[in-house]
Amino acid sequence: MIRKKTGVFLLLACLLSIGAQAQRVTSMRINEVLVVNEDNFVDDYGKRNAWIELYNTSAGSVDIRGCFLTDDKNNPKKYPIPKGDVLTKIKPRQHVIFWIDGQPSRGTFHVNFVFDPDRENYIALYDADGKTLVDEITIPRTKGKDISYGRIVDGEERWSFLEKVTPSTNNLTLDTNEKIDNFKLNDSLGVGMTLTAMAVVFCGLILLYLIFKSIGNLSVTLSKRRAQKTEGTVGEDVVSGEVLAAIGTALFELDEDVHDIENTVLTIQKVKRHYSPWNSKIYGLREIPGK
Amino acid sequence: MQESFLSFLGENLQTFLTYTGVYNATPGHLFMILIGLFFIFLAIRFEFEPMLLIPIGFGILIGNIPFKDAGLQVGIYEEGSVLNILYQGVTSGWYPPLIFLGIGAMTDFSALISNPKLMLIGAAAQFGIFGAYTIALQMGFEPNQAGAIGIIGGADGPTAIFLSSKLAPNLMGAIAVSAYSYMALVPIIQPPFMRWLTTKKERVIRMKPPRVVSSTEKIIFPIVGLLLTCFLVPSGLPLLGMLFFGNLLKESGVTRRLAETARGPLIDTITILLGVTVGASTQATQFLTLNSIKIFALGALSFVIATCAGILFVKFFNLFLKKGNKINPLIGNAGVSAVPDSARISQIVGLEYDPTNYLLMHAMGPNVAGVIGSAVAAGILLGFLI
Repeated sequence: MIRKKTGVFLLLACLLSIGAQAQRVTSMRINEVLVVNEDNFVDDYGKRNAWIELYNTSAGSVDIRGCFLTDDKNNPKKYPIPKGDVLTKIKPRQHVIFWIDGQPSRGTFHVNFVFDPDRENYIALYDADGKTLVDEITIPRTKGKDISYGRIVDGEERWSFLEKVTPSTNNLTLDTNEKIDNFKLNDSLGVGMTLTAMAVVFCGLILLYLIFKSIGNLSVTLSKRRAQKTEGTVGEDVVSGEVLAAIGTALFELDEDVHDIENTVLTIQKVKRHYSPWNSKIYGLREIPGK
Repeated sequence: MQESFLSFLGENLQTFLTYTGVYNATPGHLFMILIGLFFIFLAIRFEFEPMLLIPIGFGILIGNIPFKDAGLQVGIYEEGSVLNILYQGVTSGWYPPLIFLGIGAMTDFSALISNPKLMLIGAAAQFGIFGAYTIALQMGFEPNQAGAIGIIGGADGPTAIFLSSKLAPNLMGAIAVSAYSYMALVPIIQPPFMRWLTTKKERVIRMKPPRVVSSTEKIIFPIVGLLLTCFLVPSGLPLLGMLFFGNLLKESGVTRRLAETARGPLIDTITILLGVTVGASTQATQFLTLNSIKIFALGALSFVIATCAGILFVKFFNLFLKKGNKINPLIGNAGVSAVPDSARISQIVGLEYDPTNYLLMHAMGPNVAGVIGSAVAAGILLGFLI
């Protein structure tokens, strides 16, 4: 029995952990890379070096401490992201920059390897176990200085050399709400929205109607069958032994005056319940105004 | 020496005076205080939704006490003030789902389960939302603002607050006050349209008494309801999830304590906090704008459209129903939600024409279907416009 319970608990835990996946390191993406930085973003030491940008695609904060960055497919644990730095917690849909300068002593966000501008480069992010690949990208040989390679839209699949270098910010600036603009342009009267939304509302409730109509029919059929069965047995034994026992117990408890001492008792006395207007629709109703 | 001390006292008094409400009062503050007093009067004198109008009315008084903006952290819009902290439940949208949990735990869906075709009336009444949306667009509101305003027609305060906090936070105060005000005024708004759109013959239609619903059906309802509606409109999850969860707590029969808490102390606590903070958010400087007036007008219109749509849909539906199975169109108004007031209006108007025709149980069907329908509609608007 205990094993069964443990099994159910573990199953639930697994399901919950699958649900929680969205807020874990697996939500991180390598988002933009600049290999040759001559006249671009400067680090805290006033130096210009190559950098990579990671992006949290999820709606929850993700802590990347203990994860690994590497430029070597055979050595996934090349640069462990230090633990104990609060800045490794990346807020939802936010970015973080790592400097590819080979100087890890300069801080959490400076890795222990460098890029080679004369050939293709590889970069990968591994989970804290050092085995689970979170994201990887092979960066083509650079087209020139200060030209970054990144996802066209943050977190999405397609990569390209970007027109503008955008460290720590969106690769594609989102200054409008595309959905609202579309509605303004194509549905200025609101007819499209009304038709679509009402169709969905009706579909949902029609489906509920159909399901509960079937369930209702089934329930009526079953209760009829049950009633027929009961009718068949009534002649043999009008009152069952259990019912008689229950009545007897209730009478005994009443005589012994023990019926109100226990939390759960069998009683033939009227049970008083605490009144709450929330419990009753009738008491929640009021007179029509003015009457 | 004495002179300088007196001038010091005088200056201090003058400074103090600049901090008083009397000094900082504007006609706007006084107007809003009058509105707050009017709400309290309506609640006590006529018992119009007293559990909502008393907290909201008093909240309006709290929110419109004038004060000098000197960083004292007293106003609801001042970050870190007590009222501001309590208001987070509204702006972040977590009060409404908790209210829905309580509503689920106190709602008996039997009427709906026994006669599921009444669900369609709840769907039809959602035309109020989209009618108001269309008109709001024509009045120059942005689509997201129009969506937030339209939801007033769902006649569901928590849904209106939840949606407006996401789509148009700057209009939330006006939308919430408008939604709750019109819910309180349902007994005045609906009956004229119910009489206008129905014939005497229709008003006395007798409906079959609802069948007894088994506990198994009642348990299945929240589970199927959640899976079906949320698979269709996942953005309705916060409201629908909590509504059906609360209902399962009630119907499962094994979580009585949790259900009692959800429909008792929890919903009462949240209602108090929600009402008073929504009321306080109507600070005159933020609230008294032309947009607020437009929102109030649109809110009334959306209630009227929803009521008419529900009634007309029943009349249309009756064309396809056999004699003996017809629905009394007076329950069409109940599709707007406003549980249970609009169902009570069906009953009262019905009794006027046939004192032995009790429509309350039948009206509860579209009434609770309206709650589901408006939450689904809110989910659709959220999915389309955010």
